[in-house]
Amino acid sequence: MTTELAIGARAARPRRSGWLADFASRWTFMLPATVILMAVLAYPIFYTIEISFSRFDLATFSAVEWVGWENYRHVLEDYRFWESMKVTLVYLVFALPLQIVLGFGIAFLINAEWRARGLVRALFIIPMVVAPVVAGGVWRMLLDPLWGMMNYVLGLVGIGPLDWFGDPNLAMAAIVIIDTWRWTPFVVLIATAALLALPKDVFEAAEIDGAGWWSTLWHVALPLLVPIIAATFIIRWLGAVKMFDIALAATYGGPGGATNVVNLFIYEEAFRSLRFAESAAMAVVVLVITMVLTAIFLRGSRKLEELY
Amino acid sequence: MTAVTLQPARRRRKIKIGRHVRVALGVLACAIFLFPILWMVVTSFKDQRDIFTSPPVLFFTPTIEHYVTYLQRPDIQRRLINTVIVAIGSGVLSIIAGSMAGYALARIRLRGAGAIGALILLSRGVPPIALAVPMFLVARSLGITDQHITLILAYCTFLIPYVMWLMRGFFLALPKELEESAMLDGCSRFGAFFKIIVPISLPGIMSTLIFSMILAWEELLFALVLTNRNASTIPVAIQGIAGDTINGANWAALTAVGTITVLPVAVFALLVQKWLIQGLADGATKG
Repeated sequence: MTTELAIGARAARPRRSGWLADFASRWTFMLPATVILMAVLAYPIFYTIEISFSRFDLATFSAVEWVGWENYRHVLEDYRFWESMKVTLVYLVFALPLQIVLGFGIAFLINAEWRARGLVRALFIIPMVVAPVVAGGVWRMLLDPLWGMMNYVLGLVGIGPLDWFGDPNLAMAAIVIIDTWRWTPFVVLIATAALLALPKDVFEAAEIDGAGWWSTLWHVALPLLVPIIAATFIIRWLGAVKMFDIALAATYGGPGGATNVVNLFIYEEAFRSLRFAESAAMAVVVLVITMVLTAIFLRGSRKLEELY
Repeated sequence: MTAVTLQPARRRRKIKIGRHVRVALGVLACAIFLFPILWMVVTSFKDQRDIFTSPPVLFFTPTIEHYVTYLQRPDIQRRLINTVIVAIGSGVLSIIAGSMAGYALARIRLRGAGAIGALILLSRGVPPIALAVPMFLVARSLGITDQHITLILAYCTFLIPYVMWLMRGFFLALPKELEESAMLDGCSRFGAFFKIIVPISLPGIMSTLIFSMILAWEELLFALVLTNRNASTIPVAIQGIAGDTINGANWAALTAVGTITVLPVAVFALLVQKWLIQGLADGATKG
């Protein structure tokens, strides 16, 4: 019945208002998302920028006067900020390549034709859906110097006991291990899908030419996979620069700031030390750096695609 | 190189052995990745004495004591309910707004839509901490901190862009004739979208919805900043338990509450794993 009414209405409508209705209905699809994102994404970003240039009054809890670049000067002179940036960089440099290499490697392994392939792929989902705080907590338990499973196993082969959360380098290693444990399965799944989508005849041709498993991998599969590897890297990069929860649950930034990633540092500055203006300035610095690097990576990945 | 000189039969056998090695390594990798979860679940059934033993005990009398204790605690109950409310609320809201916008980006010619799409892609790089500070201040001045709706809206910041981009990929893959013929038959654009497009994209919509709810289920930063008692979620509780370094971590609580948190998500994910893997793959390759 409603459709009939709609037809009747449309036929009776003059052309101009028909165009208008069409224009409205087109934009209506964008409307809910646009309105919500304006309110919760765009507005807070502008507000952060405003606070970062202001003096923040804790009595009224608002930005009160314009102070120009002063907050930024404070932030850039704060060695703790640079330390946390360095920690973030170290984490990214170790975790991202490790996850990509391991992920694609495991995908190659489980991609052979065998019966339980589907099951293994399904089971690989589980670490990924474990909440990062749970992951951080459970690994804290596994890596415990006294009762942890990990030190017990290492003890059997004559290593340790290692004080994972007392030593700065080991604590960083722990963060990288936890993050890699959580995210490698994601890379495995993407890589598996990508491998399945590769054209089969190329591999058959390689086999007929007598290419071994290794040279097939290196000279045939890898070049074909470059765009996917680049895309996976960008997705993981976007996730990893935001890392916060694993560090909070596993090490709380310690020992002595060794795992204090920049997001955790900003959080502490804002909500523990109540330095909202400085933390806003830090957030803007991080935002700008992230955006610039993301743009560079996106450009680079396109270049890579052209290369092959 | 040597492979060329081998007899066909021997070569085939060599490939077969290679395959067995690969499969074995693959299974081993999977087992390593699942071990921490298994260990968490096993530990949650140990009593306090069995938890703190080295070497770890493998055989013990299981107890459900920790589950009984923590599931009976009102704060844990409250937080579980809150997490369910917020996950469903933000999942549903973002799937509605996100799929409509994804459809607009995929199908409807809009002036400026390309720019909006680029902005949204870029917004996936915004660190949540840059949003958390102003959100807290705004919510505080509006008097809506510690409420479900605040958290639901906050989660839209990362869920809507995610849904939008994923659904855009799904809609692009559909043949255009579908809604064109429906619209020729007199369906409005909305009618075509809700009666034709939505039903056939249901697998994609479901996988996106489930993954959105998982992301909301485990979010910590916004929950920590925007809630304290009424609307606080389970990750906040776990972070409290895990980070309790002064008293030494409470492993019984951690493993029991952790298992309760992981179990529904893992079961859910395994039930819909086919869609989920497809969704993830599409999200990565088309996003």
